[in-house]
Amino acid sequence: MNGEDLIERILREGERRADEVEVFYARGLSVAAEIKKGILGNAEESEAWSMAVRTVKDGRIGFSATSDPDRWKECLDAALASGRLATPQQWGGFPKPADLAGTPSAADGDLVVAVEDAARMVAELLSGAAEHPVEVVGGSADLARSYLAIANSSGVFYGMDRTVAAVSLEAIREQSTGYEFDASPFLADIDARSVGEQAASLAARSLGGSDLKTGRYDVVLSPIAAASLIGQVLLPALSGRNVKAGRSFLADKVGEEVFDERLSVYDDPFAPGLGSTAFDAEGVPTRRLVFVEQGVLRRFAYDLKTGYRYGEGSTGSAVRSGSEGPGIGVHNLFIDGPRVKEPGDERAIWIHDVVGAHTANPFSGDFSVEISNPFWMEGGEPVEPIRTAMLSGNVFEMLAGIGGLGNDSRRVGRLTIPSIRLNNQQIIGK
Amino acid sequence: MAEVRYYDIRCVRGEITLVDIDNGVVESAGTSFFDKAVIRVLGSKGWGVLTRDHVDIDSKREVERLVEAASRLAAVTEDHLDLADAPRGVLPVPPLKEDPRDVDLEEKTRLLAGIEEAARVAGVGNTRARYTEGIDAVRFLDSSGNEYSYEAVRSGFSVVAIASRNGVMQMGSERDHITTGFNLRNKQEFGRKAGEVAVSLLDAKIPKGGTKRAVLDPELAGVFTHEAVGHASEGDLVREGASVLGGKIGERIGCAGLVIVDDPSLPEFGFIPVDAEGVAVERTEIVRDGILSSYLHNRETLAAVGNGVPGHARSEHGAPPIVRMSNTFIENGDAAYDEILEECRDGILLIGSRGGQVDPGRGVFQFNAEYGYLIENGEKAGMVRDVSLSGEILSTLHNIVLVGNDRKMSPGYCGKGGQSVPVSDGAPHLLLENATIGGRGE
Repeated sequence: MNGEDLIERILREGERRADEVEVFYARGLSVAAEIKKGILGNAEESEAWSMAVRTVKDGRIGFSATSDPDRWKECLDAALASGRLATPQQWGGFPKPADLAGTPSAADGDLVVAVEDAARMVAELLSGAAEHPVEVVGGSADLARSYLAIANSSGVFYGMDRTVAAVSLEAIREQSTGYEFDASPFLADIDARSVGEQAASLAARSLGGSDLKTGRYDVVLSPIAAASLIGQVLLPALSGRNVKAGRSFLADKVGEEVFDERLSVYDDPFAPGLGSTAFDAEGVPTRRLVFVEQGVLRRFAYDLKTGYRYGEGSTGSAVRSGSEGPGIGVHNLFIDGPRVKEPGDERAIWIHDVVGAHTANPFSGDFSVEISNPFWMEGGEPVEPIRTAMLSGNVFEMLAGIGGLGNDSRRVGRLTIPSIRLNNQQIIGK
Repeated sequence: MAEVRYYDIRCVRGEITLVDIDNGVVESAGTSFFDKAVIRVLGSKGWGVLTRDHVDIDSKREVERLVEAASRLAAVTEDHLDLADAPRGVLPVPPLKEDPRDVDLEEKTRLLAGIEEAARVAGVGNTRARYTEGIDAVRFLDSSGNEYSYEAVRSGFSVVAIASRNGVMQMGSERDHITTGFNLRNKQEFGRKAGEVAVSLLDAKIPKGGTKRAVLDPELAGVFTHEAVGHASEGDLVREGASVLGGKIGERIGCAGLVIVDDPSLPEFGFIPVDAEGVAVERTEIVRDGILSSYLHNRETLAAVGNGVPGHARSEHGAPPIVRMSNTFIENGDAAYDEILEECRDGILLIGSRGGQVDPGRGVFQFNAEYGYLIENGEKAGMVRDVSLSGEILSTLHNIVLVGNDRKMSPGYCGKGGQSVPVSDGAPHLLLENATIGGRGE
């Protein structure tokens, strides 16, 4: 039975036993060529198939998922059983078919999922890395194509293709490491040679850094470092579920100036990106959402469940990861605003990445992390490596008073973000 | 067909049961199913690896077809790998005290709700609890004629409480996971503790960062062991030149008497009866009397690097095996807890873990405590929050001044290469000198 027939069958069978049924279906093929010790060590191919079922009966939502088509009946039974235990809630139904306004930019028609192509990208990564005197310790090239579909008993049946091309490389010179990566739906966006070269350059240039004294310094967070900290703290604070549960620092602050007036934060599901889509993981049409406009908090993100429960309405922000049920997230989040020519024109510490961003406190915003590949920066250029230090601060306070945004925006996962200058930050030296 | 020097197939078919209760509302409670297989072929050079859903391991034809497909992948590799011989054998899985499958979902939900409710002490505004149960049926066979199967059962929960006052929000969190049976009965105390910690953190101060003496509690000292030593001793990182511990076997990396162990055979949360390549598991002393003595290996890294013990290959279902820790700990010393506080005199006591991370090539690690106390004149003083510790692998073990006599293991999950596996970490209380403490206090 192909996916479409099976979806139809589950919807029909489920409708007899519940008020409403939803099926989320995904199948995909991916390949990876992995670098081990400077050459191609592993070649992998993965085929995946999964189906997630939600049922609604008297406001009780049930969920189950399976990666085995033969177990679909068991999966439907499990969803219904799970619904019997869920607390009933306000529910206005799964979405009805709608004209999907936006056009997503999520699939590359020319991308072929072939291990030979991934192996070629590995060769490019390695040739880039060879420009610097370093050892390559790891890395990979990945190509993937998947088909996703969402269908429900109100007549919605949307499907889309997604492609991913991704590369990464890790290099070392003595005790100095460098890691770089890139990922896009479009193969042509990926310059594997340049990613290899940059990782190697980081390892080579970071060697033999000087020590820092504990004190206050001006710093520039690279897009990677900024994305790590902001991803851990700001994203959960924008989730309507956390807001209504009293777990968001930003709750009750709509209309207030919460961030620097030079900062805007918005989700653009139609921009090219790994999360680009015209419908969300529950079949609600997506739209551009402005969360923070020139420093002023405008809104939060909702899925159907949280939206119905609190009378807010879904913002088309449902996402899924793995075989879990839908949750609230972002599609392509942009941190944006007017740029300064160089955020590091005045002497500052450039921080390429941080170690331990996931230990930041998502409720208060407080963090203290080890910094990776830090440099003294002068005239916008990293000039002198720093050995090691910690950065302590608070993400919300940082965003409330930035020193400026660089004109070097890049995609880091689902975020697109420039470097951010922050003045007078606490650094703990050795 | 391209050359096949070796192949193996590992299938994991199972169920995951999750219950999520948020502020008294049962958000979800249900079971999902998976059936994943990983087929590996060692060609003339390196590995070709296939991942599939739902493979019939008993069908010779299907196995042959998959091996052939994987061998075509292996043909593009260039790194020549060999596999070391390794002892075989499967340990008995510890018996379940109470099989979670004998408890219905309704009772699990009710018990979890009790833990979540217990967290709602005065001052707490939000509580959330999550139950996670995994039943894995594992089957393995390889081209050398080895075959085994076993069942792994995991059951546990986490509970989080958030207290807030005047715009300040603080969190307390507790968890407990086991492999030896159902784990939700009589656990309200975990909820209560999460609630009490959250409330008391409202009055805690953020410490001033800098270099000072630090006492680590057994949970945090376990994370320290895992981040500071465990990862850097993994044979794949050593082979790739990505670990500062490479080439250091036989060298002193810590104080005399220090023993650091990874033991997959212990019936703790990281227990495995056999590793993911069919190799027998055994206690591995990474550090003996302060000297680096063994790396953690799989068959491939043992052949390439030597100086260590195989049986440390693990994988998340549907992913290829890589070298991983299991139950990692520092053995007991002889210092009593009071003696450690007294010897610390002025410093900081760090308790519980919010996780950590390491860059093993650079030799730098960071981890975060849930909370702590200042130590003044050898006694516990004011409570502190949002405090991290960072350090360098090659010097940090020399900074252990006292090793306590009260080792305790704590369960958790460890991520590496995009795969998450259950582990436990532990240690007795430790006294560190020259610890770099991160905190933004003035």
